[in-house]
Amino acid sequence: MVERALPVVQTAGLCKIFRDFWRRPRVEAVKDLNLEIHPGEVFGLLGPNGSGKTTTIKMLLGLLYPTSGRISLFGKAPTDVAVKARIGFLPEESYLYRFLVAHETLDYYGRLFRLPARIRRDRTERLLDMVGLRHEARRPIGEYSKGMARRIGLAQALINDPEFLILDEPTSGLDPIGARQIKDVICELGRKGKTILLSSHVLADVEDVCDRVTILYGGQQRAAGDISDLLCQRDVTQITTPPLSEETMGEVRALIRRLEQRDILSVSHPRVKLEDFFLRIVEEAQAANIRTSGVRKGGQMPEFLQKPTGTTTHDVVESLVEASSRKTQPLTPLEPASRRARYEPSREVLDELLGRKDTPTLREPPPMGDLEPGLSPSDVSRIKKTADASVIDDLLGGKDRSKKPEK
Amino acid sequence: MSRIWAVARQMIAEGIRMKIALVFLVLIGAVVLGLPLTVAGDSSLTGAVQSFMSYGLSATGFLLGLLTIFMSRSLSDELVHRQIFLVMTKPIPRWQYVVGKWLGITVLNAVFLSCAGLTIYGMVHYIKRTHPPIDDRYDEAELNNEVLVARHALPTKLPNFMQDAELEYDRNVEEGMYTDVPGFKPDAEKIRLAQKHESRWRVVGPRDRRIFEFENVLCDRAFKNTIQIRYKTEVSQYPPDEIFRALWRFGDPYKGTPVYDAPVRHVVGRFHTIRVPADAVAEDHTLLAHFYNQNPFQGERQFNNVMEFRASDGVEVLFIVGSFEGNLVRLLILMMCKLMFLAAVSVLMVTLFSFPVACLTAFTVYILAAVGSFLKDSLDFASNDYASMFSSVKEFLVQSIMHIYNLLQWIIPDFGRYDAVETFVNGRNVSLVWVLQATTEMVLVKSLIILGLAVLFFHRREVAEVSF
Ligand SMILES: Nc1ncnc2c1ncn2[C@@H]1O[C@H](COP(=O)(O)OP(=O)(O)OP(=O)(O)O)[C@@H](O)[C@H]1O
Ligand SMILES: [Mg+2]
Repeated sequence: MVERALPVVQTAGLCKIFRDFWRRPRVEAVKDLNLEIHPGEVFGLLGPNGSGKTTTIKMLLGLLYPTSGRISLFGKAPTDVAVKARIGFLPEESYLYRFLVAHETLDYYGRLFRLPARIRRDRTERLLDMVGLRHEARRPIGEYSKGMARRIGLAQALINDPEFLILDEPTSGLDPIGARQIKDVICELGRKGKTILLSSHVLADVEDVCDRVTILYGGQQRAAGDISDLLCQRDVTQITTPPLSEETMGEVRALIRRLEQRDILSVSHPRVKLEDFFLRIVEEAQAANIRTSGVRKGGQMPEFLQKPTGTTTHDVVESLVEASSRKTQPLTPLEPASRRARYEPSREVLDELLGRKDTPTLREPPPMGDLEPGLSPSDVSRIKKTADASVIDDLLGGKDRSKKPEK
Repeated sequence: MSRIWAVARQMIAEGIRMKIALVFLVLIGAVVLGLPLTVAGDSSLTGAVQSFMSYGLSATGFLLGLLTIFMSRSLSDELVHRQIFLVMTKPIPRWQYVVGKWLGITVLNAVFLSCAGLTIYGMVHYIKRTHPPIDDRYDEAELNNEVLVARHALPTKLPNFMQDAELEYDRNVEEGMYTDVPGFKPDAEKIRLAQKHESRWRVVGPRDRRIFEFENVLCDRAFKNTIQIRYKTEVSQYPPDEIFRALWRFGDPYKGTPVYDAPVRHVVGRFHTIRVPADAVAEDHTLLAHFYNQNPFQGERQFNNVMEFRASDGVEVLFIVGSFEGNLVRLLILMMCKLMFLAAVSVLMVTLFSFPVACLTAFTVYILAAVGSFLKDSLDFASNDYASMFSSVKEFLVQSIMHIYNLLQWIIPDFGRYDAVETFVNGRNVSLVWVLQATTEMVLVKSLIILGLAVLFFHRREVAEVSF
C-alpha cells in the first residue's frame, strides 16, 4: 500500500436524515459514518439495498448536504469546485442526455473539465474504443441499451483522468465482458495508484478488486477492514496442482498424514469460471465477424489513464502526444506468440510459480484479434503486465488476495 | 466562461434535437407568411405593410415569450431525470451552470428572433412588389417615406402660456378684480388663466392664421430630402363633405429659406402628413409653419369654421434619421431585452418549483409585465373606491395587494414602456436611448437580480433531493 499521505476521503460522524415537506425526519439514511480512504486504495462499500451506499456517495460528491458530520475530500469540502476536477463518477443509473450521441456526450463533459479540444477529441476516441462503442458512437444515447449507456457512463467518468474514481454499482447492467473489463480497469487503475471507491452487490467482483471494504447496514457501519484479513481462512490450506494420478494422490495423502497428523479435507477438479467460458465464446463470435449493433469487445485502456497518479495534466498531454507519434512509427512485425501476449505469459508465470517447465495450460488461449496491428513492443509489455495479474487472479480462483502481486 | 458556453451549447443542441426550433419556425412561418394571405386586400399598400408588420412582430414577440418560458424545461428536466448529478460532479460552479442555461435560452431566442426578423423583412419587400396598386400614385412613395424609415418626431414649440397668465394676473390685481373673492387662491387663478390662453391659442378662427415653430430640426437640409408635418384638426361644425380646405406655408424668408405653399383638402378629424422639401428648415435648424384657415381653392365652397389643434394630437414635424433596417434591428433588440428578462424569470422559477408550477408563475410574471401599467391604474382605482365604500377587511386586502404589487414593480419591468412595435410600424425612430434604457433596466439590472436569486436558490438546493 502507498504511504499514508493525506486521506483522499475522510468523514467524521457523517449523518444524513431525509425529511418530508414539513421537515419531519423520515429516513435516517446514514448514521455516524466514519470513513477513511487512502490514496491508491480500492475501497468497497457494501450493504443491502437501501443501506445508504448511494447516499454516502452523493454526500461525498456534494449532491446531498450532510445533516451533520464532516466530509473532507483531498482535504477540502465536497462542494469545492477544484476538488471535482480530480474526481470521476459513475452513478448507479445512466444519467446521460438521451438526445446527445456518445461522442458529443464525452465532449460535453470534457468541456466542463476545460480540456483543450485536441485532448477532448483524442480521449473521446480512446475511451470509446476502450468501452467498445466506437462504431455506435454516432447514435443518440437514448437509443442505447442499458449496458451500452453504462459503458458511456464509465467512459465519461474517466475523461478527466481522475485521481479518485467513484463507481456506484459499476457492473450492474453490464455483460460479463463489460463487467470483466470494468474489473480490469479498476485493478489497473488501482495499480497505477489511483484511488477508487466502489459500491456493489456482486460480492465476487468486490472480492476480486478491493483492498478494503466496509459493510453498511441501515446506514451504519457493521464491519470494515482489509479484505484479505476479513476473508482469510487461516485454518485451511489449498494447493492447486495439475491432474495427479491415484498413486501420487495416495503418496501425498500419506505424506500429509505423516508430517501433519491430519487428513486432506477434500479433493476435486476445479472448474473454469463461467466468466472465462463466456468470454471465450464471445471472442470466438467476434473472430467469426458476426454482425452486432451492440457492444464490441473493447480495446485497451487508453494511455492517458496509465500514468501513475501525481502526474500533472501536462504530463498526460505529453503522453498523448508521445503515444500518437509513436503510433506512426514503422513497427517490427510481431510474433504470433506476442500477439497473444495477454494469455501467453500466463504459462510462464504459472511455470514460475510451480517451479516446473512442461506444464499443460489450464485452458485454450482464445484468439485475440483485437490488439491493434500497430502495437509497439512497449505496448505489448504493458499488456503483458496487466494480463499477468488477471491470469493470476484466475489461477488463484480470486480467493487468496494476500498473494496478489505488487500490491 | 468556456464552461458557461459548454452548458449553453448543450442546451442549444437540445433545442434543436427536441424539435423546439422546428416547431417554432413552423409557427412563425404560419403566422408571418400566412397572415398577408388572410389580411383583406382592401387596404392601401401602406396599410397592408403596416398591418402585416404589426401583427407579425406582435405574434413573434408573444410566441417567443411563451417559448422562453417553455425552454426552461431543459433545466427542470435535468433535475428530474438527474442528468444534473453528472454535471454537478464536474468542476463547474453552480452559478455558471445557471447562467449557462440562461445563455442557452437567450442564444436560441436570438436566433429565432433574427429568423423572424429576416422573414418579416423579406415579406415586406414581397408585399411591396406584389400588392395590387390602388389608384393612389403616392402609395409607394408614402410607404417609403413614412413607414419604411426611421423618423424622428418633434412637437411644436408652445408659447409660454404661464408667462401670459402672470401678466394678465398682474393686470387683474391692479384692476382690483380679486379683492372681494372669498377664499381666493392666486396659484389656482394663474393656472386657470394659463389654460385659457392655451385653449385660445389652439383654435384658429375663419381667415385667421397660426404660426407653429419647431426647434432642433436636425435633418439633412438638402432640397431632395423631405420633412413631414403631421397634424390633425377638429372643426366646430362638420362640413357636409367632412373636408376642410386650408393653406400651409413653410419656411422663413427672414432666415433665407425658400417658402413652400401647400394648399390642402383634408378630411376632418384624421391625421394628415404633408411632405415638404427639407431646405425649408433654416440654417439654425428651426422651422416655421403657418396655418391659414382660409380656402385656397378657387370655386370650391368652404364653410367658415373654427379649427382646433388639440393638445392630445399636437402638430409634429418628422424627419428621417435612420434606415428601416437599422430601426428593425433596434426594435428586435428591444424585444430581445424582454425575452432575456423572461428567460431569467423562468430559470429562477425552475430552480424553485416543479415545471408546471414554474411555468404558471413565470407566465404570471409575463402577464404582470405585459399589462403592468394598466393593472396599476385599475388597482389605484380599486383602492380609492373600496377605501370609501367597503369594510376595512376589503380595504386591507386591496391595500396589501397594492403593496405586493408595488414591491413587484421594483423587479418586474413594465413591458409597455418598451413596446416599440407601434412606433416602428409608424416609421418612427426606435431611438438608441430607448434601447439603452431597456438594456439597462431589463437586462443589466433586473435580469441580473433575478439570475442572482436563481443562483442563490440553486446553491442551497441539494440537487439529489427528489424532485418530480
Ligand atoms: N432523496 C431521497 N429522499 C428520501 N429518502 C431517500 C433519498 N435518497 C435515499 N433515500 C433513502 O435513504 C435510504 C438509503 O438509500 P440509498 O440510495 O443510499 O441506498 P443504497 O445503499 O444505495 O441502496 P441500493 O443498493 O438499492 O442502491 C433508503 O431508505 C432510501 O429510501
Ligand atoms: Mg445505491
